[in-house]
Amino acid sequence: MQLFVLNYARPAEQLEVSTPYSYDCGLQLNVLPGGRIAAHDHAVMREFGSTTSTAGSKTHFDD
Amino acid sequence: MTVLVLTSEEDVTADLVVARLNGTGIPVVRIDPADLPGEVALSGEYVNGAFRGHLSAGGRVVTLEGLRSVWVRRPGVPGARAAAPSGWLTEEASQAFYGMLRGTGARWMNHPDAAARARHKPWQLHLAQRSRLPVPATLITTFPQAARDFARRFPDLVVKPVSGSHPQEPPRVVPTSRVAPDVDFTAVAFGPTLLQRRVVKRADIRLTAVGDRILAARKAVAPGAHPDDIDVRFAPSDEPWRPADVPTPVAEAVHRYLREAGLAYGAFDFAEDLDSVWWFLECNQSGQFGFVEMDTGQPIAQCVADWLAGEGPRAPTHPHDPQGSMRMAP
Repeated sequence: MQLFVLNYARPAEQLEVSTPYSYDCGLQLNVLPGGRIAAHDHAVMREFGSTTSTAGSKTHFDD
Repeated sequence: MTVLVLTSEEDVTADLVVARLNGTGIPVVRIDPADLPGEVALSGEYVNGAFRGHLSAGGRVVTLEGLRSVWVRRPGVPGARAAAPSGWLTEEASQAFYGMLRGTGARWMNHPDAAARARHKPWQLHLAQRSRLPVPATLITTFPQAARDFARRFPDLVVKPVSGSHPQEPPRVVPTSRVAPDVDFTAVAFGPTLLQRRVVKRADIRLTAVGDRILAARKAVAPGAHPDDIDVRFAPSDEPWRPADVPTPVAEAVHRYLREAGLAYGAFDFAEDLDSVWWFLECNQSGQFGFVEMDTGQPIAQCVADWLAGEGPRAPTHPHDPQGSMRMAP
């Protein structure tokens, strides 16, 4: 009874990644420990895949 | 006039835009509807023929009449983080929240009605055809025999989810995948199946449209790439995204698509074939753009910020109302 398309499914990576930035309610932005805006640090963004086309896929499918 | 950003706290892509708006001095209020009720509170009254309302979050208060624009980025489900969440509370909170916002006259990126319709991939294919974008031969069916017949006509096929979503129990991903020529299609009867002629591509194209601005990026298929690695999201590749010129017919078709869809933002995926034809795959009405901006340096976040900060005509109450969306055409 498995759907045809699910023959092509693979397990999702279940990585519990702890990002080095946190949300600052005052700035309404995520910031690194030194206060720098996390989104402006491309190295961090690339390392954590935070803005890739699969980011947020669990809850949002518009990638 | 305030820009209202609806998204989760961890949405760093939204940060790119919020930071730019902060630089302009335009007030921004960022909230996640999942925090209503709780961290987010709202009130609105309809008295003496007039409406007055306000939202508060994180110590900020904004009048609903004072909203310039609403950016629906990655909002959580209203009521999801309430002390006692329930389906009923979510419906109540959704109706109150989005119902009030719909009456404000703010510009939307994207209007919830337009967004809801635009998520349907079959409708995307229909609209792409109407907009004169090349669409690979596609079949969506629960008839195994129809799938067999289609495979005879188009022997090289891929399969992908109709909704674009991924199953969660257990969590899995379903990349666009190549279908073997001798596959058994019996299981097509168990659920709608989307089969599409495989485009032999030499590059993937991500075209990001913001209002009347369109920015395209191209990611070449890596030399020696395996032909079964169809889905650019999952295929191993060190090729970067690079800025790409948009062919005029494609640009015109994209504007037609957005106009008819009533979208102020859309992230289009194309497959570029060996003859340089851009084949439409899908349009994500809230697609990510940070990864493209980082590779290409294209000012997508700035374009979004500019659009949200713009004064422009008031948003439509219906996606087909020309006031909100027609202006995005060149």
